[in-house]
Amino acid sequence: MSVIQELSRSKRSVSPRRKGDGRWALFFLAPWFVGLALITAGPMGASLYLSFTDYDLLSAPEWVGFENYTRMFDDPRFVNSIGVTFTYVFVSVPLQLAAALGLALLLDKGMRGLALYRSVYYLPSLLGGSVAIAILWRQIFGADGLVNQVLALFGVQGQGWVSHPDYALGTLMALNVWTFGAPMVIFLAGLRQIPQMYYEAASIDGASKFRQFRSVTLPLLTPIIFFNLVLQLIEAFQSFTRAFVVSGGNGGPSDSTLLYTLYLYLKGFGSLDMGYASAMAWFLLLIIGGMTVVNFLASKYWVFYDD
Amino acid sequence: MSTTGNGLRTRRGKRLAASAAGIAAMALTLAACGGGDSGIGGGGGDDEPVAAAEECPCEIRFSWWGSDSRHESTQQIIDAFEAENPDITVVPDFTDWDGYWDKLATSVAAGDTPDVITQEERYISDYSTKNVLADLASLDIDTSKIDEGVLAGGQIEGAQYGIPTGINAYALVADPEIFADADVELPDDTTWTWEDYVTTANAISEGAGDGVWGTQDYGFNEAGLNVMARQRGETLFTPEGELGVSEETVADFFQVSLDLMEGGGQPDAARTVEYQAAGPEGGLLGTNQGAMGVWWTNQLGALTDSSGHELELLRLPGESEGERTGMYYKPAMFYSISADTEYPESSAKFVDFLLNSEEAAKIMLTDRGLPANTEVRESILGDLSPTDQKVADFMADIEDEIVDTPPVPPHGSAELADIMERVNTEVLFERITPDEAATQLIEEVNAAIAD
Amino acid sequence: MTDATTSTQTVTTTAALPPSDSDVPPGTEDRRPTARPRGRQVRAKVGSVLKHAGLIAFGFVMLYPLLWMVASSFKPNALIFREPGLIPTDIDLSNYTDGWNALLHPFSHYLINSAIIVLGSVLGNLLSCSLAAYAFARLEFKGKRLWFAVMLMSIMLPIHVVIVPQYVLFSQLEWINTFLPLIVPKLLATDAFFIFLMVQFFRGIPRELDEAATLDGANHLRIYLQLMLPLSMPALATTAIFTFIWTWNDFFSQLIFLTRPEMYTVPIALRTFVDSTGNSSWGSLFAMSIVSLIPVFIAFLFGQKYLVKGIATTGIK
Repeated sequence: MSVIQELSRSKRSVSPRRKGDGRWALFFLAPWFVGLALITAGPMGASLYLSFTDYDLLSAPEWVGFENYTRMFDDPRFVNSIGVTFTYVFVSVPLQLAAALGLALLLDKGMRGLALYRSVYYLPSLLGGSVAIAILWRQIFGADGLVNQVLALFGVQGQGWVSHPDYALGTLMALNVWTFGAPMVIFLAGLRQIPQMYYEAASIDGASKFRQFRSVTLPLLTPIIFFNLVLQLIEAFQSFTRAFVVSGGNGGPSDSTLLYTLYLYLKGFGSLDMGYASAMAWFLLLIIGGMTVVNFLASKYWVFYDD
Repeated sequence: MSTTGNGLRTRRGKRLAASAAGIAAMALTLAACGGGDSGIGGGGGDDEPVAAAEECPCEIRFSWWGSDSRHESTQQIIDAFEAENPDITVVPDFTDWDGYWDKLATSVAAGDTPDVITQEERYISDYSTKNVLADLASLDIDTSKIDEGVLAGGQIEGAQYGIPTGINAYALVADPEIFADADVELPDDTTWTWEDYVTTANAISEGAGDGVWGTQDYGFNEAGLNVMARQRGETLFTPEGELGVSEETVADFFQVSLDLMEGGGQPDAARTVEYQAAGPEGGLLGTNQGAMGVWWTNQLGALTDSSGHELELLRLPGESEGERTGMYYKPAMFYSISADTEYPESSAKFVDFLLNSEEAAKIMLTDRGLPANTEVRESILGDLSPTDQKVADFMADIEDEIVDTPPVPPHGSAELADIMERVNTEVLFERITPDEAATQLIEEVNAAIAD
Repeated sequence: MTDATTSTQTVTTTAALPPSDSDVPPGTEDRRPTARPRGRQVRAKVGSVLKHAGLIAFGFVMLYPLLWMVASSFKPNALIFREPGLIPTDIDLSNYTDGWNALLHPFSHYLINSAIIVLGSVLGNLLSCSLAAYAFARLEFKGKRLWFAVMLMSIMLPIHVVIVPQYVLFSQLEWINTFLPLIVPKLLATDAFFIFLMVQFFRGIPRELDEAATLDGANHLRIYLQLMLPLSMPALATTAIFTFIWTWNDFFSQLIFLTRPEMYTVPIALRTFVDSTGNSSWGSLFAMSIVSLIPVFIAFLFGQKYLVKGIATTGIK
């Protein structure tokens, strides 16, 4: 608190931004650099190398050049998994973020029972990749599940959503939206980070609540929206556990939930084709990396930083 | 296989690497990337188990998959073994089925292979052709009490890479109460045909009313296809490791499913897929919604418990219909020993104990299949639960009808289960015809087993 | 926006109040000082009731699967699938007692193992990621953008292809079957997710604050410790909560790196109740899943209190 008090006493002036905090950067980044060098870089490099080999985990890898990469595009299951993954990512991520942001705004402050609501909405996200999820999901989207029971009340005959190739991916996306707790918490934290002074200044200026939202909350929340967008995209592209658990491990029915990473895993550990899996991983990295670069470039136009 | 790779994997080498700080280890890993084959590389390579005399007290690691009840009983067996062999410590290493194979492959890749490994027919070819497993014939394990045919289930190109722990059979499980509700007679399983199977199932669906079906779809499991193929004098895989089933048989196999679905004998496609995913407990038999289902005999216990009914084991249809019988004893699992183990003798001693000790058998009962050792099997008959007793009786009944044990599926056949599931789903949703399914299945399996 | 930043900066009375964790933190409750006319009050009340009704209904939908799991955990194993309704016909606690003792060690053993890993991971992430984030958010150094890209890249590769090389690395260090492979990386900021998270939050703190502190002679370490960390409680709380939950639920790396049953953790223990090839104890699985949810839920309840201790309540207005 002392710094803050000193601060408030000191007369503010804008000091020239100093360039070159090299030594300080080294100090602050030291753990990360060590981790990068010792733990992250080696295995990443190894997987890059393995992506150019025929490697079955049980015997030594053999160099095959770009074969794994060229093989991918002749593999119908690979092509299918890309389609499944893009659908999954571009439908469920926006929905999940919208739900998270909406509820975060609703649950931000000034209401009774907030802590309770927040916790209740977060509970599903606590389950993680529990094997129980598969069973729970069948209780909702199965042939005799909750959804169909509700539909039956309206005289609509439902069907086994979770096990129908046309709808299974939809239930998986619903599962992803259902666990919007993580981005919601980040949004909540972001809302709390917005300095009160902005609101006061705005209300002195006579801004309506909606205008306060538009000109204070939203712009100041953009770094967090941006963060959630970038990270949820990265995560959604790598979604694995839920698809694995819900589909019983094979991306079924009939490959309709075969997400990219699930296929990669099945190739690497199921078919013992780790070379191919590694190539898939690096190709995925290119996709996600490209997406992230676009995101960062676009962010210049809509993300507001106060610094 | 490079010598540096093996050097790193010895315990001394490991200690050396550890004593050098993290940077050294890093360099080693990177060297592995650059050099092409060390560090990362795989446990295979040494054809011979290390021959040096063993110095005990020693520690061997035993890995298996399963659920809580198996972990508990296996620990008791380990305790019994350690009591008899105080200088050998057996370290348990267990997890569920899916996790097991990830973990095993990873530890083999890092040269950290467990000494005694539980194997299964889907993967044993992969591991043995890559020299991960030792030839058990060269070790001191008594297999004289195991039926030759069953023992052959663990042989690949003349070497004994795994010894069957016990046997199961793929059989038809029937719920007499639902048969009675539907006013349908239990079939005579020694004479019934595949057509009878379809008509029986359809009749039950008809008679039992809404929400109860004749049977649960069998098309997800390759074992059913194998039985049908064998009845026609074919085989799923030949001893040479090639696909030995004709397109016609595969098409007929899927046609049975379709006939059942159209005749109402089994639920619609979406339900079928759902019940399939729900395992024995959540399937038709387990939830009293069906009269029949095809399961492995070791699943009778789980089915009986969850259904709460007295279930019966029947022969699969068509046993007297074709050229020969198709049912067979499947090795439930195999015990294997790492080709790299430092303690081949102690490991062999432990495997011998697992196979031949009455004490072990009395704890294990039928948890790893009906014991492969026939003498031991006799000795536990009195201790079996009524359900297990039923299994044992059934297995004895069909013993004389069984012609042979199918050969070990070839390298790459682990993918077959997924292929079956995918193709069958496509058939059920009528996205492809049985003929197309046959072509697709054969194409995909051939691709999977081609090296 | 910039005109807002130049508005008053004073220490208000709320700074003297203890940071509140109630639903309506004092001082932030009422942004509109004028009292509402009565008609609007009634309408607001009706609106509030409707809002709560909606939120409760939505909560039920959110919770239905969990309620089903709770209900099933009180049913005998055989009835879980045969009678899948929400209300158990008779309450049976045996799943809890059986599940607790079903494995080689009592379930508490696995809870403790998980707790150790979680604790180490939370501390590690809080410290190492906030340090790295400070550098990326506030320092100018050569190659900053490149290093930032490298950092993001490190979370773009699926774990399945790096786990084998990692295993080789850790086994050379003789770390297999210890908690080290699960904790040490967190101390070294390998969870780039949280670095990025904190960078975003640090950047949300007005730079005037640290510029003023710099004028007062504070160095970066002091700014980090006394300005950034206290002002970033929501980000730190988020990091702690997520690290807790994700580590608690992390199955794959714990499965691979821990080989001996005495080192097993909750997710591995839970998996051993179910075996797709044999018998499964669904009842025990549900019961122990619920038991293992309790610590994470408590962690969340505890942690979310700190979510409200943002810049809004630490005295800068």
